[in-house]
Amino acid sequence: MTSDYAVLTEDLTKFYGQRRGIESLTLQVGAGEVLGFLGPNGAGKTTTIRLLLDFLRPTDGSATVLGLDPRRDKAALHRQIGYLPGELSFPGRETAGDLLRFFGAARGGVAWSQVTGLAERLDLDLSRPVRTMSKGNKQKVGLVQAFMHRPALLILDEPTSGLDPLMQQEFLAMVRDARDAGQTVFMSSHVLAEVQHTADRVAIIRDGRLVAVERVESLGKRAIRSVEIHFNDPVDPAEFDVLPGVSEVTVSGPVLRCTVSGRLDPLIKVAARHEIVDMLSAEPDLEETFLSFYYHSEGAGDASRAGA
Amino acid sequence: MLPALVRKTWRDDRRAVLGWAVGVAAFTTIYTSFYRQFQGAAELKQEALPQGMLDFLGIADMFSPAGYLQATIFSLVGPLLVLMCAITLTARTIARPEEDGGMELLLANPLSRTAFAGQRLAATGTAVTVVAAIPLLLLFVVVPRVGMDIPLSNVAAAGVGLIALVWCFTGIAFLAGAVSGRRSSVLAVTGVLAVAAYMANAISGMSDGWHWVRWLSPFHYFIGTDPLHTGWHPVELLILVAVGAATALAGVWAFDRRDVGV
Repeated sequence: MTSDYAVLTEDLTKFYGQRRGIESLTLQVGAGEVLGFLGPNGAGKTTTIRLLLDFLRPTDGSATVLGLDPRRDKAALHRQIGYLPGELSFPGRETAGDLLRFFGAARGGVAWSQVTGLAERLDLDLSRPVRTMSKGNKQKVGLVQAFMHRPALLILDEPTSGLDPLMQQEFLAMVRDARDAGQTVFMSSHVLAEVQHTADRVAIIRDGRLVAVERVESLGKRAIRSVEIHFNDPVDPAEFDVLPGVSEVTVSGPVLRCTVSGRLDPLIKVAARHEIVDMLSAEPDLEETFLSFYYHSEGAGDASRAGA
Repeated sequence: MLPALVRKTWRDDRRAVLGWAVGVAAFTTIYTSFYRQFQGAAELKQEALPQGMLDFLGIADMFSPAGYLQATIFSLVGPLLVLMCAITLTARTIARPEEDGGMELLLANPLSRTAFAGQRLAATGTAVTVVAAIPLLLLFVVVPRVGMDIPLSNVAAAGVGLIALVWCFTGIAFLAGAVSGRRSSVLAVTGVLAVAAYMANAISGMSDGWHWVRWLSPFHYFIGTDPLHTGWHPVELLILVAVGAATALAGVWAFDRRDVGV
């Protein structure tokens, strides 16, 4: 590999006629990194992925994948990529086994034990025709074909959709194994919880623009937590309303409820002036933090779309 | 070993190709094997129909063996069958997977766009050629056996002409699919062109003022030269092949330059 980056995009832009797909997306994914690519439906996740795979051609800007040009070096590049489409549809009527044999042969030969190993891990029956399979089982076939040739880069579009919780855990374990083996994983999702435990960083895209790229830990630091304090005597909400980072203050008698973003210190300092009976602080919910990107920035139109 | 994508294309098209092959073979065998029995009926048919109608149907005379073969196999139903086969199979190379979503996993194979399009076309082109060659192969057996008095070289010229005609429309169908990615476009564009080409050839024979339009019609280059009576016309056949090759190459070129699956 000639580059330290597995994926590098510069001002990557795609318009479908007048309609915007993505605009000026600049993003780096380090080799060996797991990146969660998050955003609501229609934000441009799949467009970005299709640009990286050369299914779409950029209107402007450029992408470099594994140090190669997606268009010029497509053949060499796709040999090193494992791709799981967001909307899976398999060509043909064969059994899962025959279909996977085709994918293996097309990629220059894949050890069959690799396929059976993955199938066993995901509890997938290879002797059944793919067409007759449930959505979840089709998703497993899709995962096996993406992982089977141990690609340097895995591009997974909504990988856990259709999988039951047990299989989602197994999938996440596969991602961790891939990272341990030095593979890079670029996975999109519209739910943070899905990538929270495996991703090193998350990139958040909204309305075709990259709004944030952060390490998962730092996302936690600026997380929003809900706090409930039981005082001995009734308190005045005005006292807490004005504190930095404190919002949604409600007081019913001696019980104060609010949400705090960032440090708890200002709230604790003020609360300590009263006699405290009990205090509850819910663990920071990354999901809420994630959603706050949609709800608390720029306009209600965005918020309603994020909720859709 | 053949490329995996070629073998996969054949496997996916297997049923359809087999169906068309059986249909074309049955059609050819049934019409020609009962040559003698049909002879009487053919005379009736020819007497019953006005000359203009006979011209339109491409029936010159049904008394001579060559006329009979032309009227039954090579004038209307034969080309119609193999062209329908070619157009529907070619619609599967790019347009169908692009519409049903299977394209993403096919295109994710480590092949350049042009290699992908080329292999899909090569696989389907071979299958289509096999189906289009069936009348030729069967006639080699049937014509001597039922005692039709036609030189086999002339039969070969007509049979190869049918293959050339099919290549011509396969190229056009491939171009339509490579540009649009839509099955309906492939069927509409190629279907309309095939019907228009047939009409152009038929009408040009009926009225003198319209004589020139035959030069626009692939059907003229295929059957207008009357190969069953006059034998080989290499220039006309090469024109058909050239149109097929040019449109196919244009299709590969166009597919390499557009967004796929939007």
